[in-house]
Amino acid sequence: MELSSINILDVLPGILLVTASLIAMLSIAIRRNHKLIFGVTTGSLLGVFIYLIIYATNHSFTVEPLFVIDGFGTFITGLIVLSSLAVSLLSYAYFEQREERKEEYYILLLLATLGSAMLVISKHFVSLFLGLEILSIALYSMVAYLRKREKSDEAGIKYLIIAAFSSAFLLFGMALVYAQTGSMDFKDIGIYMDSVSNNGLPLLLIAGFAMMIVGIGFKLGVAPFHMWTPDVYEGAPAPVTAFIATVSKGGMVVLLVRFFGQINGQHYPVIVLSFTVIAIASMFIGNFLAIRQNNVKRILAYSSIAHLGYLLVAFLAGGALGVEAVSFYLVAYFLTNIGAFGVIAILSDQERDAENIEDYQGLFWCHPKIATVFTAMLLSLAGIPLTGGFVGKFYLIASGVSAQLWLLIIVLAVNSVIGLYYYIKIIAVMFDKPKAFEALALRPRLYLINLITLVVLSILMIWYGVYPQALIERIQDFLK
Amino acid sequence: MNEVQTVSGLLLAGILFVLGLVGVLIRRNIIFMLVSVEIMLNAAGLAFIVAGSKWAEPDGQVMFIFILTMAASEVSVGLALILQIYHQLKTLDGDAANKMRG
Repeated sequence: MELSSINILDVLPGILLVTASLIAMLSIAIRRNHKLIFGVTTGSLLGVFIYLIIYATNHSFTVEPLFVIDGFGTFITGLIVLSSLAVSLLSYAYFEQREERKEEYYILLLLATLGSAMLVISKHFVSLFLGLEILSIALYSMVAYLRKREKSDEAGIKYLIIAAFSSAFLLFGMALVYAQTGSMDFKDIGIYMDSVSNNGLPLLLIAGFAMMIVGIGFKLGVAPFHMWTPDVYEGAPAPVTAFIATVSKGGMVVLLVRFFGQINGQHYPVIVLSFTVIAIASMFIGNFLAIRQNNVKRILAYSSIAHLGYLLVAFLAGGALGVEAVSFYLVAYFLTNIGAFGVIAILSDQERDAENIEDYQGLFWCHPKIATVFTAMLLSLAGIPLTGGFVGKFYLIASGVSAQLWLLIIVLAVNSVIGLYYYIKIIAVMFDKPKAFEALALRPRLYLINLITLVVLSILMIWYGVYPQALIERIQDFLK
Repeated sequence: MNEVQTVSGLLLAGILFVLGLVGVLIRRNIIFMLVSVEIMLNAAGLAFIVAGSKWAEPDGQVMFIFILTMAASEVSVGLALILQIYHQLKTLDGDAANKMRG
């Protein structure tokens, strides 16, 4: 590896994120100041994002042997950084009224962003593992950040054990693949698989992939590895839940797309079959279990299981259209989920998050702005026309049609209808008559930053729904 | 390293991994669950070392060092969380800490 050949401008986003987290750490050592550290965090995330826009690379650049910085990676890095920015904007008011030591949260947020940004540009098992663990270990503490809440601790320890458990599966799988192929580079593994594919894949390699799929399945929270999702979503503070739902899962999806593309996964029926089963199971289990829930955070958790099932359709379709569809869907999904959890964060009080469906009764009549934003977000999750979610879903179906995955498309369409029920249920509750007065006490005063962030998110989401051409062209530009 | 040694090394790693897996699934004490997860991670590390020596490359050992580092930092967070749970519940029983359902 020649360090001198690395173009410093290409790896600058990563360096900036590391520096920002170090500055944040040092500033806490000097003086604890929530405003200051919030400014440092948002400023550096905004800086990285602007840098990525200005220096948007269309050329592919590799840092041998670990990273590949191509258009896809750059686009998703920008998306991840922007989502972290939105999460940190939503976090300020949320933590201001709660925890007495709130500064460390921002270090963890920056580090988790760094981990996810490393994950999406990795092309080697070592960088995959390091990015994933930087992300996960920061997330353990973020999930359990509100120490005084019992639920938060419970969610933290559950997440820790499940994440370490799935890491062990992933690592053992990677070791088996390495033992068989003699390489940890995605491309070399693909070349090896190509060379042996005529006589069928060796048993050791299949075992390795099976264990990797189990590990990745846990990280993504797809059925049948989904059982941690609702508990962690419920126990974690609302902004952290938004982060897990978007940045953490999104990073893993992108990594999967990259790995699958490099090893030409579509050519191996075993792999395609296992992902098809996972996709179908996730869609049905996610939607059916969401119907039975009365806790909004849990409903959104089950809906995220279903949404990852939808995403796997485009992932299985593969090819240029599949990658485009994944990119577009991730944008819509990130905007929508951060918006939805942002609404929960605004409505929460010191004791607990606004997670019961009764907390939303009559919301439209006392807080019309928030209720409108929440309605828009839920409609987008359901995939109603004129929202980003609809165009995203349309894109998924288009990519599925071009790859002729008829079974998956039918399941997707059926599940969109089932999903409609529980999203509409929440909306109906919001338009209900307001309940007695004490329920409204749960709603603290509105915070301007949060409100502005939410409004911007919903405008973007509707804009991309009404006029998706701009975003599509942008994505195609990056993927060239 | 010849083929027999690689196979037996991977088998040993596999047995360790299964022991850890069974431990996580049947133990109810949170500390023991954490210990079992550590065994699984170290089994994966051993498999990496075996694979690395099969190809006579240092990569497997490098990966093992990374795994050790990650396991150490994960345990430190885990023990802090366990302490917090013990303060609140006065027990380390995994079922007692499982309040969220549905």
